[in-house]
Amino acid sequence: MSKPPSAKPRARKAQRGHYLLRLFMAGNGSNSQKALANLRSLCQEHLEGRYTIETVDVVQDFEAAVRDNILVTPALILVAPLPRVVVLGNLSDVPTVLAALRVSDGDA
Amino acid sequence: MLGKRQPIPKVPTKIAGLDEILEGGLPRGRTTVVSGGPGSGKTVLGLEFLCRGAMAGEPGVFVTFEERAEAIRLNASAMGWDLATLEKAGKIAIIEARLPGEEIVSGDFDIQGLLAIVDGHVKRVGARQIVMDALDVLLRIYDDLKDERNELSRLHDWLTDQELTSVLSVKTHHDDNQGSQYEFLDFMADCVIRLDHRVLGQVATRRLRVIKYRGSGFGTNEYPYVFGERGIVLFPLTTAELTHQPLGTKVSTGLKGLDLMLEGGFRRASCVLISGNSGTGKTTLASTFARAACHRGERVLYLNFEESKEAMISGMLSPGIDLRPSLDDKTLLIQTAMPESTGSDNHLNRVMETIASFKPDHLILDAVSACVRMGSKQAAFDFMMRLVSVVKERGVTSILTNQISSGIVNDDEELSGIGFSSVVDAVVQLRFVETDEEMIRQMLVVKSRGSAHSNRRQRYVITDRGIEFPDTPRSPPGRAEKVCRKDGGK
Repeated sequence: MSKPPSAKPRARKAQRGHYLLRLFMAGNGSNSQKALANLRSLCQEHLEGRYTIETVDVVQDFEAAVRDNILVTPALILVAPLPRVVVLGNLSDVPTVLAALRVSDGDA
Repeated sequence: MLGKRQPIPKVPTKIAGLDEILEGGLPRGRTTVVSGGPGSGKTVLGLEFLCRGAMAGEPGVFVTFEERAEAIRLNASAMGWDLATLEKAGKIAIIEARLPGEEIVSGDFDIQGLLAIVDGHVKRVGARQIVMDALDVLLRIYDDLKDERNELSRLHDWLTDQELTSVLSVKTHHDDNQGSQYEFLDFMADCVIRLDHRVLGQVATRRLRVIKYRGSGFGTNEYPYVFGERGIVLFPLTTAELTHQPLGTKVSTGLKGLDLMLEGGFRRASCVLISGNSGTGKTTLASTFARAACHRGERVLYLNFEESKEAMISGMLSPGIDLRPSLDDKTLLIQTAMPESTGSDNHLNRVMETIASFKPDHLILDAVSACVRMGSKQAAFDFMMRLVSVVKERGVTSILTNQISSGIVNDDEELSGIGFSSVVDAVVQLRFVETDEEMIRQMLVVKSRGSAHSNRRQRYVITDRGIEFPDTPRSPPGRAEKVCRKDGGK
């Protein structure tokens, strides 16, 4: 399996401490919508001003899912800062997501 | 709808023997589950189905959850299927759907991503069939049985909506021979095939069994299978009895005396057993037949499980039988093997491949008694039954030699050694008889289906000119007494 090109140009330009998050969704699926809502509120609360959310609809763009090897949705990829992390699910468990993204409450 | 059951549409797998067991193939547009332990051949089965389909113009998609795409390509090329070319031609797409294994889970998720990827590839190649290999690996991401079932239902519904003929393979564990951990999968699928890889008497054997097939009949036995040079080979006996050729015309045994005793010789496509103690001349008699047949331009395949080709050739020079010219003009092929070198299924496959390429008129197997060393009496029985059935279907005469333990004569079970006397059409018994002055050899035709034969024990000697009868054997009694059945026997 070739390493997916996780670092897009935009990611490289990202400043230190800036979070680039890529969320894979499946159309209007309820878990996908929940994940997007959960991610937005989480970022606003803990990463305000230093995050970018990219959304990818795998139904529209399956090649993107192939590139990042995303089999289940919703799936969140922490593209930057490295190392890359994948979180599966609708992101309802906030402490788990924060820990995965290496964000502590004190960062808020 | 009541009334006559409509046959369901099927897709042939084109895997040797499997379509007979499945009565035509896999259910078209429906889901088949193939389960088995590690090394049982699930991947090869799926791959063969897909490759043979693609080569016949039916595009397909192979989703691998465990092995890398490159490993799958190597697997295929070992079997002679050029996957890379089929991929380039847009006939097959391989999707490497391997979970990195380091995901963190937070909340519910589903396999929409996978379905989107698969859907994209299915549309691109115009796939009609799909294999999902090692689905168990994907299912590992679910902790909850209910979630797992929901996702399986989602997958199944999607496959069915797309009208894809699907093969889903799952790994089961050895101590779990019913594969109960994937009970739901079995319930959901229309066809369930179980592969089993076990060791019997130190020899590895593989068995395939169809557990269920909605809306269709199927062969219910366990069928042995091997990995041949060109994929999986199964040996169903489902139709053997129906397709046997009737016994053919007489063919000379190479011995005038024995021809007289048999009123002309052995019948083509019959199974002849030559039994006797060690040293009675079974190989000499079989070689006499081989040489005579080769002189007539017929092709003989001689399977020797007892000695090397060189030992056999030089051994036969002493009774004046020179097999070398027949080997040179390629009418004779001697294939030797140590019975214990591999399992009976592999032996059978090797012989089948030789029969397919050499196309013999007659087959000699020396000796039945050695076949037990393939593992067990049962293994030897399976080997013999299947071999004899297949050669009979092809109208090939089979001559089997069998060494019997001294002191036992006339016991039909012992004659055939491993109890398959019902498929034997003719029995020639060789034995030593002790007289006051010497040991003499006697030959007796014990049975000859569909033909008259002499009931006399005939004395014979083995000289440097071969087997000779000091007294001219008598032909069978007059026609009035002759037992002759038009159907060629029971």
